[in-house]
Amino acid sequence: MNSTLEQVQAIACDIFGIPSARITADSSPETVETWDSIHHLNLVLAIEEKFQVQLSPEEIQEMKSVGAVAVLVESKLQSSAR
Amino acid sequence: MALHIQPYRAEHEPAVADFNRRIRAAGEDENLVFYQSATPRWLPPASSSRIHNEFFLAIANDGVHGGYALKTQDFLLPDGQIRSIGYYHHPLSEGIVDKAHAAIGMLLLRDAITRSPLLYCLGMGGYERPLPQMLIRLGWSHFAVPFFFRVLRPAKFLRQMQTLRHSAARRLALDLAAFTGAGWLGTKLFQSYRALTSPRVKRSEALEVQIFSQETQSLWVDARSNCSLTAVRDHQTLRLLYPGSESHLSRIEVRRDGRLIGWAVVGERRHDAKYGNLRVGSVVDNWAFPGESLSIVQHATQVLERQGFDLILTNQGHQGWGRAFLASGYLPGPSNFLFAASRKLSELLEPFDHVKLRMHLTRADGDGLPRNF
Repeated sequence: MNSTLEQVQAIACDIFGIPSARITADSSPETVETWDSIHHLNLVLAIEEKFQVQLSPEEIQEMKSVGAVAVLVESKLQSSAR
Repeated sequence: MALHIQPYRAEHEPAVADFNRRIRAAGEDENLVFYQSATPRWLPPASSSRIHNEFFLAIANDGVHGGYALKTQDFLLPDGQIRSIGYYHHPLSEGIVDKAHAAIGMLLLRDAITRSPLLYCLGMGGYERPLPQMLIRLGWSHFAVPFFFRVLRPAKFLRQMQTLRHSAARRLALDLAAFTGAGWLGTKLFQSYRALTSPRVKRSEALEVQIFSQETQSLWVDARSNCSLTAVRDHQTLRLLYPGSESHLSRIEVRRDGRLIGWAVVGERRHDAKYGNLRVGSVVDNWAFPGESLSIVQHATQVLERQGFDLILTNQGHQGWGRAFLASGYLPGPSNFLFAASRKLSELLEPFDHVKLRMHLTRADGDGLPRNF
């Protein structure tokens, strides 16, 4: 099974419309041209749907890079598994 | 950087000024700024009022990064209940100039939904803009509120209407139509045809008033069942929205045999480059006893004609009012005046495609009052 980071990268590729080779854990709004407010919303909704989690406003603010999103999702999944 | 969304207070005004400077410095439209004063000039909160406007800011340790306005007003809903509903307007996020703040637009909207789950947006400038795209993605119900216009001075309209004159060939054709009189003839023929084929209405009298009379209260009660959704337009609300001090608005009461059958509010629209130097009038708001809308539209149109406007515009959600404007020689046009209802509000507006036909929505329900409608 793909790691959380790989799954988040796949979602990001789809949302931002760029090849997977160009999405890394460091990819952020500063480095991805199409990462604007609408695509940020799309990313949040896609993450919530894919991982069946609900993101709080504080957590949405933490989504500053693809790697940060993966860490956030991991932590949400772990806390819900407990 | 922890970001908190909280009510805008006077102590935040310097930080808002800094925020506005950053937005301006990034080359955005100079009109695209957040409110400089923490206290709304329009409908400030008052304990005695059921309709008020509030501002909220997205604040981090290093300053303000966004804000929005929330108007709260009573609406009549399809179930016959009157509920307080929020209107989300003037959202502004630093994300438009700095993508490090890309999340703020969504956070502002989520905050507004939390504060006012029954929430709507109106206007927004068309489906291609970021806010409506966001609302659609969030599953809001939506439609474009129909737009109507009536040309009063055809030659000037053809020469000044910048949105029609986007190519050299178009400009030539429009100038020809203007200078030969063909545009005038076509417009007058169409309006005469509409006048001849529209339903006859009994004679009525219009009077411009300084403040709306007490009879508007019973008119509100008698006519409201004709609407699936409408902001409360009772006497108290009308006096608040259209006070006598707003001298740029004309308040018109229409009577037959002394009895009030409807009212309208008309005024001049703020200058907009797309209309060139046309004087543009607007039917801002209107209300009538069922079956009397045509009389109201005719009187409102006559008032604007007498005031010397070149073009009249209006947006009307209710299909009955739309028909009255068409019967009065107005033409339909593409609308960028969008209505969108939050998911909670949409649950009360089911079936939406049916309910939307009788929603009484006008420019007065947007953020345009008191002067920008």
